[in-house]
Amino acid sequence: MNFNDLFSFERLIENMPNVLAGLPVTLSIVVCAFFIGGLLGFGIAIIRIRHIKILEQLIIVYISFMRCTPLIVQLFVVYFGLPLLVGLVGIDINRWDKLIFVLIAYILNEAAFLSELIRSSILAVPAGQTEAAYSIGLSNIQTYFRIIIPQAGRIAIPGLSVQIINLFQGTSLAFLMGVLDMMGRASAIGVNTYHVIEAYLDVAIIFIIISICLERFFIYLNKKYSYSLIKGGY
Amino acid sequence: MLEIKNIKKSFGNKQVLKDVSLSVQTGEVIVILGPSGSGKTTLLRCINFLERADGGELTISDKTVNFTKVHKKDIFEIRQKTAFVFQNYNLFNNKTAIGNVMEGLVVARKIPKSKAAEIAKHHLDEMGLADKYDCFPSQLSGGQQQRVAIARALALNPDVILFDEPTSALDPELIGETLGIIKKIASAQNNTTIIIVTHEMSFAQGVAHKVVFMDDGFVVEEGSPDDIFLRPKKERTKQFLSRISPIEYNI
Repeated sequence: MNFNDLFSFERLIENMPNVLAGLPVTLSIVVCAFFIGGLLGFGIAIIRIRHIKILEQLIIVYISFMRCTPLIVQLFVVYFGLPLLVGLVGIDINRWDKLIFVLIAYILNEAAFLSELIRSSILAVPAGQTEAAYSIGLSNIQTYFRIIIPQAGRIAIPGLSVQIINLFQGTSLAFLMGVLDMMGRASAIGVNTYHVIEAYLDVAIIFIIISICLERFFIYLNKKYSYSLIKGGY
Repeated sequence: MLEIKNIKKSFGNKQVLKDVSLSVQTGEVIVILGPSGSGKTTLLRCINFLERADGGELTISDKTVNFTKVHKKDIFEIRQKTAFVFQNYNLFNNKTAIGNVMEGLVVARKIPKSKAAEIAKHHLDEMGLADKYDCFPSQLSGGQQQRVAIARALALNPDVILFDEPTSALDPELIGETLGIIKKIASAQNNTTIIIVTHEMSFAQGVAHKVVFMDDGFVVEEGSPDDIFLRPKKERTKQFLSRISPIEYNI
């Protein structure tokens, strides 16, 4: 058995387009989970900050479930549990695309984590900022959108960067549900050709490049919105 | 004109304002003195509805509200007539100096941006901040931040300006500078009522038309600066003033 059987650069390059074809699926999971999850998380954060009864208690249970169980378990729960649950009211969703279940699981997971990040960022804005806004005649909503959210957003940037890179890499679990993302394609290549290493290395390369880009982007954001708090970024 | 009748405020079991009434004429400068915890700041915050008083009545110009039944609209209207200068400035960290001053004009008063910028520049210039328009609060010194905050309050052209210990967070040099500015405002503004909570006795004596001494949630004594500082009647006032060593600042 020579080395070429184990690993070859030709196969690494050959497989790249095939693996890359899964990138849109990966990215769509990231984008959906991050933005829809972010919106949901924002709503959840507001409910917790305003202490809205009953909803708040439900949300605490939901957040603790999402944070205390592995993502893979949540994926299975949504994949197998959701059809049963909506089946009870007579709706058949067994034919739905697998990707939809995966998206729902990631959105729910992300909403839980992001809501805590958003909540802590909003609470980190000093109360004096709100008081100053009220004192010059701003309404509640104006205060929120013009003073609190911009400052909270600034505080959240480093946390968001960790979160989105985590999410991006976490999408690699989706292939266990049979979704043909990059990981799914790599494992399919492995099964078909018996050469696994190159395809997975392709995945690793793509993950590294995109993660570094994301990281750079957030460092740029951090600098751009520093309000001169930190000279030269972090 | 500002009138407060029988205002009361408790935090939990602690009654901070027990029964305070106060009447201030238009254009008057009132200094409120008193030991920590006497309710001075709470009184100021109640006037601006940063705290909701439990009972009493408030009249500013032609607007009267009863604290037991206030509507959002009333609060809004009162806040339009008042401006607040905070002890720790509370400038909006996400806005530049000029942005801070323009915010209330553009968003709350609906003044067009170009006009608001003009007003903001005028007030910042008055404060000696002509070269600091585009600085964020973090790039300004404490004294400069407080001057932006004062410009922010003045720009709204309020009927009443409330100063809550405006110099407590500043160093001795900047205290003199800031007090000088407040003094200038006090002598220049004829239709604006000014209420100042401060511990600067000589400043109080120099600027006030009326001095109010508060202790333990009550107004103990009020009168002209000379009455309070030179001829205090109540024992508590004498006691308080005797403990304060007079420090002179160059105003």
